[in-house]
Amino acid sequence: MTLATRLPPLLLAALVLHTAVLPQLRVLGVAPDLLLALGIATGIAAGSDRGAVVGFVAGLLADCFLQTPFGLSALCYSLVGYAVGSVQATILHATRWISVATAILASAAGVTLFAVLGTVLGSDELLGGRLPRVAVVVALLNGLLVVVVAPVVRWATVPDVTNRAVLR
Amino acid sequence: MALSGRSGRSRSTLVLLVLVSVTVITLDFRGGGVIASLRRSAADALTPVQEAADAVVGPVGDAVRGVTRSGALEEENDELRARISELEGEALRGADAEAELDQVLELRGLSSFTDLPTVSARVIGTTPSNFEQTIQLDVGTGEGVAEDMPVLTGAGLAGRVVDVSRTRSIVRLVSDQTSAVGVRLPSGDLGVAEGGGPGRPLELGLVDPATVVAPGELVVTSGIDDSVFPGGIPVGRVERVAAPAQGVLEQEVVVAPVVDLDRLRFAEVLRTEPSS
Repeated sequence: MTLATRLPPLLLAALVLHTAVLPQLRVLGVAPDLLLALGIATGIAAGSDRGAVVGFVAGLLADCFLQTPFGLSALCYSLVGYAVGSVQATILHATRWISVATAILASAAGVTLFAVLGTVLGSDELLGGRLPRVAVVVALLNGLLVVVVAPVVRWATVPDVTNRAVLR
Repeated sequence: MALSGRSGRSRSTLVLLVLVSVTVITLDFRGGGVIASLRRSAADALTPVQEAADAVVGPVGDAVRGVTRSGALEEENDELRARISELEGEALRGADAEAELDQVLELRGLSSFTDLPTVSARVIGTTPSNFEQTIQLDVGTGEGVAEDMPVLTGAGLAGRVVDVSRTRSIVRLVSDQTSAVGVRLPSGDLGVAEGGGPGRPLELGLVDPATVVAPGELVVTSGIDDSVFPGGIPVGRVERVAAPAQGVLEQEVVVAPVVDLDRLRFAEVLRTEPSS
């Protein structure tokens, strides 16, 4: 299977979970952001280039189900995916805990960036008193999600040859 | 060299993606039909999956909530029994007032919102967003639903339709921070009930400091001018009133919605005339 055939079903499955399942499993009224986590996990596993692309596509899918400006999530998730991939490239010995910590920080940054850019674009309600709680809870939940998502993302976004080399 | 080449390609990719994002955002702001169609098609395509997921995950979520709140449930049951007795008394008094209201409306040649046709709907999902307060209903243009139609439950106003496709509609709840509903107090004074966000009460704006407002009073839609809501629909009960600070030209009035917005399962869409 090629990367082009692995990624679409992964994105579709993530979209279904993101829109139909996770909103019903909220913690303190906040749901995890699986599509943001997908961009972050790709940045960690496959670098800044693929992190930006997967973040962009995942963001566009998320935008289909939001009332905020279309393209806002795509812009934020691609920036976060790129940044995560760039930071990850500087780490010589990445451990699972570093990946989780990266996902937590990147998720908090992603939510904040979404709120700030959304406010610039006229959605003033995003930058209210609820933002800190949303950023913290999404960050922690996404940190947990990345542990589960990372192996699947690696399978879908990293070529088999590299995967085999990593496994050896 | 190889690393620098890869980094340069990554930057080009990012610049391209940012440009595409900005273009898409601009198109959306210009009200392009393509973006709206894309959103609606995606939502339509996913509606069956969402309904199936709701059927599977909904009971699981309810069960988890039931187990974790078992202690509080007994207490809540007692409170609800007391509330039922209270409401039965109120309903008897209300029936008498309703009959009088019908007579007055008939004499003046006016109609009540209860005369308007409705479409029954099931809530099939909530928003994946952590900032918006919207729900999805399993009815769309196929059932005659249009944008701006009010959505009610037996208790009162839940929100209004903000987006509609062939098979489903998105409803912005009155608790959404961008929601504003023109309301009338029992004294006849008008105000605007603004959403306070998830789990928070509504805030009543533009209430004159001289207006007498008491906790427990029912606030209903005003139905004035070009409001999308017909008059007389219950919105909430006054929860708290604070005296205005020196120099402030409006009272601080907090209103609890009459509809339990966290546990909506079914709703009625009021088929008012679509706005032009």
